[in-house]
Amino acid sequence: MRRVALVIGLVLVLAGVAFAQLPGGVPRNETLIVDQLTGRVGTPSNFNLWAGWRWQDRGLQQLVCEPLWTVDYATGEIICGSAAELPQYNEDFTKMTIKLRQGVYWSDGVPFTADDVVYTIDLHIRTPGLLYHGPMAEFVDKVYKTDDYTVVVELKKPNSRFHTHFLDRWGCLRIMPKHIFEKVEDPVTFEFNPPIGCGPCVLKDYDPAGFWTLWERREDWQRTPTGMLYGEPKPKYVLFQAFETEEAKILAQLRHELDMAQFAPEGLRVVLERSDTTRGWRKEWPWVVNIDPCITGIIFNNMVEPYNIKDVRWALTLAINMVEYMATAFDLMAPVSPIHLPPVPAYVEAFFNPMEEWLKNFELDLGNGEKFKPFDPEIPQRIAQAAKERGYPVPEDPKVIKELFGIGWWKYAPEVAEKLLKKHGFTRGADGKWYLPNGNPWKITIVTDTNPAHHHYRNAMAAAEQWRKFGIDATVNATEAFNSLHLMGEFEVGTMWPAAEPWGAGVDLSRTLDPWRSSLVAPIGQAVTLGPGGAARWSNPRLDEVIAKLEATDPFADVETTRLLGIEALKILVEEMPTIPTYGYCGAVAWDEYYWENYPGAENPYSQPYQHWPNFKYMLPFLKPKK
Amino acid sequence: MRFVRDYLAPRLIQYVLVVFCGITAVFFIPRFAGQDPVLEIIAQIQTQGSSLDPQAVRSLMETLKELYGLKGSLFEQYLTMWRRIFTLDFGPSFFQFPTPVSQLLRIYLPWTIGLFVTSTLLSWILGNVIGGIAGYFSGKSWSKILDAVIMVIRPIPHYIFGVVLLILFAYLWPLFPAGGLILGRNVTWNWNLVVTILRSSFLPALTLVVLGGVVWFQQMKLLVQNVKREDFVEYARVGGVKERRIVFRYVLKNAMLPQVTQLTLALGQVFSGVLIVEMVFSYPGIGLLLYRGVTRGDYNLVMGITVLSIFTIATSVLLLDLFYPLLDPRIRHR
Repeated sequence: MRRVALVIGLVLVLAGVAFAQLPGGVPRNETLIVDQLTGRVGTPSNFNLWAGWRWQDRGLQQLVCEPLWTVDYATGEIICGSAAELPQYNEDFTKMTIKLRQGVYWSDGVPFTADDVVYTIDLHIRTPGLLYHGPMAEFVDKVYKTDDYTVVVELKKPNSRFHTHFLDRWGCLRIMPKHIFEKVEDPVTFEFNPPIGCGPCVLKDYDPAGFWTLWERREDWQRTPTGMLYGEPKPKYVLFQAFETEEAKILAQLRHELDMAQFAPEGLRVVLERSDTTRGWRKEWPWVVNIDPCITGIIFNNMVEPYNIKDVRWALTLAINMVEYMATAFDLMAPVSPIHLPPVPAYVEAFFNPMEEWLKNFELDLGNGEKFKPFDPEIPQRIAQAAKERGYPVPEDPKVIKELFGIGWWKYAPEVAEKLLKKHGFTRGADGKWYLPNGNPWKITIVTDTNPAHHHYRNAMAAAEQWRKFGIDATVNATEAFNSLHLMGEFEVGTMWPAAEPWGAGVDLSRTLDPWRSSLVAPIGQAVTLGPGGAARWSNPRLDEVIAKLEATDPFADVETTRLLGIEALKILVEEMPTIPTYGYCGAVAWDEYYWENYPGAENPYSQPYQHWPNFKYMLPFLKPKK
Repeated sequence: MRFVRDYLAPRLIQYVLVVFCGITAVFFIPRFAGQDPVLEIIAQIQTQGSSLDPQAVRSLMETLKELYGLKGSLFEQYLTMWRRIFTLDFGPSFFQFPTPVSQLLRIYLPWTIGLFVTSTLLSWILGNVIGGIAGYFSGKSWSKILDAVIMVIRPIPHYIFGVVLLILFAYLWPLFPAGGLILGRNVTWNWNLVVTILRSSFLPALTLVVLGGVVWFQQMKLLVQNVKREDFVEYARVGGVKERRIVFRYVLKNAMLPQVTQLTLALGQVFSGVLIVEMVFSYPGIGLLLYRGVTRGDYNLVMGITVLSIFTIATSVLLLDLFYPLLDPRIRHR
């Protein structure tokens, strides 16, 4: 009997604390709980994000750090954070002037001034173990202040993009608190715990096992750039929590224990079906964030035969039926892209729409004077039709269809692909299979990520299916060594990012184009230094010229020149097709509106929508409590 | 002397060889898997946003190689590895740099030991007791029903069983947390903390106890069913030995020998962790740590965990070999 009573007692105790407190004992209705994108933190006590990968998306970059500038790809703007205005260059780009915002304080009450900026750059020049030591040591000749809110950086050589090292788009050189670091013996091993920043929150607690980190709004939030720009962040606490499985995340959101989360598309669907209070970026199908600044697709190793032949790359492009491809890859929910850019709003206006006519008239030379116009502006309509046939509530408005599915992609033209291949000695056997010019069967192994929810994996499966239909023996090799193989060039075809993410705001495409500089192409077996895009090991003298011209423009003063050079570069990429962009990355995010509402959405895109981006701090003042 | 020459020495030699070959294999396998930890870090920094210059990236690669101890020939690295093993210093984790592997083990191992050892012992005891009784009374209808239920549970994978428990007890009837432990950085031992740990460990432990218990149950039941038909048991029964004595002294005692062996081996696997269960319940154990190490090409971390694992399992087997004669007179007399 006593044993039974003991068991009942234990169960009651457990039940009594069933609805136990949140970490740190904070009240739920004052806390915004968000999913940690990069999973459990491996270095929970170390917040020194200048010295290595520190899981900065646990709230460090979003809530503590306040960079000089941040891009916002939803609005297309560059937000001046701790800087008061955009940088100013002198005429030959050897001097950059930074004006700082006045009245900003570090979270421990010390004023933020030009001394902090000078100290940060100077320390990086002197300290090889810090992440940004390379560019600072390479470019900075002198750094000094002219007053407490003005910093001048004199460069050793002209660099019109030096400011991009301080432009946050998921990583940049953030300014350090001088008064903390100047007392530190070794800034590389220093843990920076608790972290001090100019962002709107301070550290309250964290899990030594790395599953969660809890932040608290600063009492003096008015003295932060976030407070000055947008007002008081509404949640008093923000909790970042890592979940090891999608199921646990789904259950947590259904229990209203997780406000913002990113799922696989299947998980998003479950949450939206099961919860009355959850919404996606779009309130209607296809729900997902279709303005992400990444472009997904296929990458060729241009140093390996036959992928070093432009016609082969184009043949493989035309052997893809994009409607079928999208049905396999992302259930027809993402916008296709014929150019090496994602369709973020700023780029639709600056590049996609202006290039539409050129794309329509663009011709491939099939030999013997025969030409072919490969662009197909009807693809979005056909994707919409396929989605309707799957039973999805697809809008009728052509403008919305364009917004959802893009401006078009390349025609499905296997007969043209055949001509292009035969031009180079490829043959098709009686069995319908393709043979290489040397007579061997053509086999393609697509190297990709192991995560089936990742767009890399989805692109690989869809491409393999299409090429198999075309008669090529295509298979997928999903491997943990995926990154290493791509960077070392030990692959033929893969699905790493086909182009580096652009900045996302403004019209400067330097970030996308730089990996394709001739000087950066490394031989196979030697790692390329700029992986996304660069792993294609491709370069082109015409593109080198455009990059050189771009370097000579001021992206802020010469906006139109910068934009036109971007278009020129994108045209070269279309003509050469060194990698195949397929569709813009889509984030399957879900927001529970049980405790908070007024998240940014397609109907009100006031900010980028992810909790893991640095701009998250600027979203907080717009949220509204419901409980 | 004969014992040392014929029994102890061969086993000690075998022990040293197993440990040496195991550790050597663990050193080489990740290095031949095509993953480069330095490139993994570089790829992460690049794809997740930072816009480092090529020169900066090259310099970072060199720095990382230096810091990770990956400079020098493979043979030099191999010798360094043995030096480290003898000082129990496995160097820094690459992926969680600069945290030393030994520190990570200190953080995560107690959680796995707490969950794994407790649940293994509990499932072993329950499985053997219930399985033994059910095996002895295998003709009874309750035993047959129990057998049928166990047959249904046995093939359920840990993942599915864990998720079902989560849906039942963390969603439909929210008694337990869905998202793991909520301990903070300043842990103070008090009743609340104990309850928190119990609550967070309950569902993963239940998964392991139930799914482990059914295996022990089935093994024990079969063993008992066989032993109870042995001549010496029949002889005891005919001789009028009491039923209770026959069950515990004759049947269960003899059926227990292979179960003890299996328990020792099972406990030796503590360093492999219980990955799937730890994943489902976001439990901070060594299984998850090892998984991270493998997927990120973190040689040092994989090395640290597997070296301990090899030592533990090899030592368990050695001890078992040495102590078995005490448990089984048939071995003693050979």
